[in-house]
Amino acid sequence: MSEVEKKEETTTTTVEKTEEKKEETTPAPAPAPATEEKKEYAADDEPNVDYEPTLKRDIVEVKTNEENEEVLFEIRAKLYRFDTDPSPQWKERGTGNVRFLKDKDTNRIRVVMRRDKTLKVCLNHHVSPALSLGEMAGSDKSWVWKCPKDFSDEDRPEGVEELFAIRFASPENAGLFKTEFQRCQAENEKIEKKTE
Amino acid sequence: MASVEKKEEHIKLVLVGDGGVGKTTFVQRHLTGEFEPRYIPTLGVSVHALIFYTNFGKIHFNVWDTAGQEKFGGLRDGYYIQGNCAIIMFDVTSRLSYKNVPNWHSDLTRVCENIPIVLCGNKVDVKDRKVKPSQIVFHRRYNLSYYDVSAKSNYNFEKPFVWLTSKLLGNKSVVLVQQPTLKLPETVIDQNLMSLYEKEVADAAARPLPDDDDL
Repeated sequence: MSEVEKKEETTTTTVEKTEEKKEETTPAPAPAPATEEKKEYAADDEPNVDYEPTLKRDIVEVKTNEENEEVLFEIRAKLYRFDTDPSPQWKERGTGNVRFLKDKDTNRIRVVMRRDKTLKVCLNHHVSPALSLGEMAGSDKSWVWKCPKDFSDEDRPEGVEELFAIRFASPENAGLFKTEFQRCQAENEKIEKKTE
Repeated sequence: MASVEKKEEHIKLVLVGDGGVGKTTFVQRHLTGEFEPRYIPTLGVSVHALIFYTNFGKIHFNVWDTAGQEKFGGLRDGYYIQGNCAIIMFDVTSRLSYKNVPNWHSDLTRVCENIPIVLCGNKVDVKDRKVKPSQIVFHRRYNLSYYDVSAKSNYNFEKPFVWLTSKLLGNKSVVLVQQPTLKLPETVIDQNLMSLYEKEVADAAARPLPDDDDL
């Protein structure tokens, strides 16, 4: 069982909050991993007011460019990218479902991930046989890989070099992902051999 | 291909609120997906293009992320001029930041007279909430919308933009849709190239991922 560390560096913003800060004397030994404790949320409030519209638009037909693809596998994950600015560190890139998509014409398979809610693309490249999923130090539910060209960013259609890590809810899920990744690589290899 | 957007359709969104309530972290979360827990005060203003994909096409906000530390009266009119909409943010763990909301609101509406404004209470992921839901009433007086949000857990983090878009369009049926993926080129990665990356990958793999376990 992996340690669920308590973060003691809560994201306090230091300014003008000292009086309000209660000392946490009891680091309550959570009885169960109660990550989502009962929280009291305020209701959304959306008043019925109108403004002079500043944008004139009609409903448009939306294309995902996944229309001709089949979803082979899908699993929930958190994606990170390695950044050296301002210092070397992993930064979160998105949480959502990572999916393997197979083109119905070319049969080539790519890996695509979108962020929850905003549905923005945060991962998009072929499951190329040249890639390899490596282990992460101290984590049995994550993988790391180098991607010479990722095509998530629509403003950079030439592709961006990235170093990715991906974390799953459990080691089992991480295992499933790797198995599927490698199966897709094998399929892509056959196709790449043919086209060469 | 992405639909052609006209420059004049860029929407100026003014983001204000006390220093440390999480304005920059909120914008950064939307921009790159990252969550920056450290507090690095914004100087002056930084403007970021934030794009949302909706059933009405691509919506381009230019978010004016302002320095909260300058306090009310400190922001120059230029930050507000020609603002099309705004977000006023406070921190639900800081009563003072909520108390200052009326000051931010009057500062803003002095220049931008009748624009859609969202009030957001950020950091609702924190267990020890100080500004209780029943205490949040300011928005009712001025017809602002209100959302509890969290840049950390992403709770409601898209809603302010969806509501603002619907007001700017004068249409309630706005929903976010999937961003189109770029189509991939048919090129093949050279296996020999990959060996060049081995050290870089090993170094990165030795560094831990940010430790949040919410999946």
